[in-house]
Amino acid sequence: MREEHMRQVERWALYVREHPTEWQQKLKNLIDAQIIIARRAYAKLAETEQGREKIRIIRQNK
Amino acid sequence: MERKIEDKTILDKFLEDFVSVVEKHCKYIVVSGFVAIAHGRSRGTEDIDMIIEKLNKKKFILLHKDLIKAGFECIQSENPEIIYEDYLTKTTSVRYTRSGEFLPEMELKFTKDELDDLQIKERIKLPFTGLDVWFSSIEMNIAFKEEYLKSDKDIEDAKHLRIVYGKEIDENKIKEIKDKINKLRMKK
Repeated sequence: MREEHMRQVERWALYVREHPTEWQQKLKNLIDAQIIIARRAYAKLAETEQGREKIRIIRQNK
Repeated sequence: MERKIEDKTILDKFLEDFVSVVEKHCKYIVVSGFVAIAHGRSRGTEDIDMIIEKLNKKKFILLHKDLIKAGFECIQSENPEIIYEDYLTKTTSVRYTRSGEFLPEMELKFTKDELDDLQIKERIKLPFTGLDVWFSSIEMNIAFKEEYLKSDKDIEDAKHLRIVYGKEIDENKIKEIKDKINKLRMKK
């Protein structure tokens, strides 16, 4: 499992190396989606009872 | 190779806005995970790590006020004296976000030893990233990830950077830095 994951890391790194103008748009979707999903989750949590306090604890424990 | 606006991620824009304030006050470097991500490493992150020159309190307060004016806030405290005394001078990092936003975060800390001073001295712009931002060198990032940080994620980041830069990487330089890490950070 770990070896296969490392092979995937290598395959993608080679793609990036060989396609210096194409990888950015592909990666943008992944990075933006992660932040948008996390922001949505935080916003929902903030609306719940004690949600803001939970967020404060999450942030302080980073 | 400047990155097209439409290719810039939320992280890229956040970083560029933050840097446009910081660079008016001091030298800085972006280090660690974002360096790998800016080179195409396919993984997520919620924060960007930045090291800045050690500032005196007066200068830091000016920097903090400019960050607030530019729409950022510090998670730890609104009071720059507390941020300075209770965190930064105790080699603890602080986190800034855009005001009212939970993510992304900028994790900011002062240089803490001669290795950090060296990182600032040898800082570099990396055209491959398409970003007009100062980074610590690729050799420095690889050395820290392989010798000091060492999590699975860090080892994968280092592997990615090694493949992207291939033969351009100075292995002697990496060895020198690893020796310094062992001496200064791991007391070997």
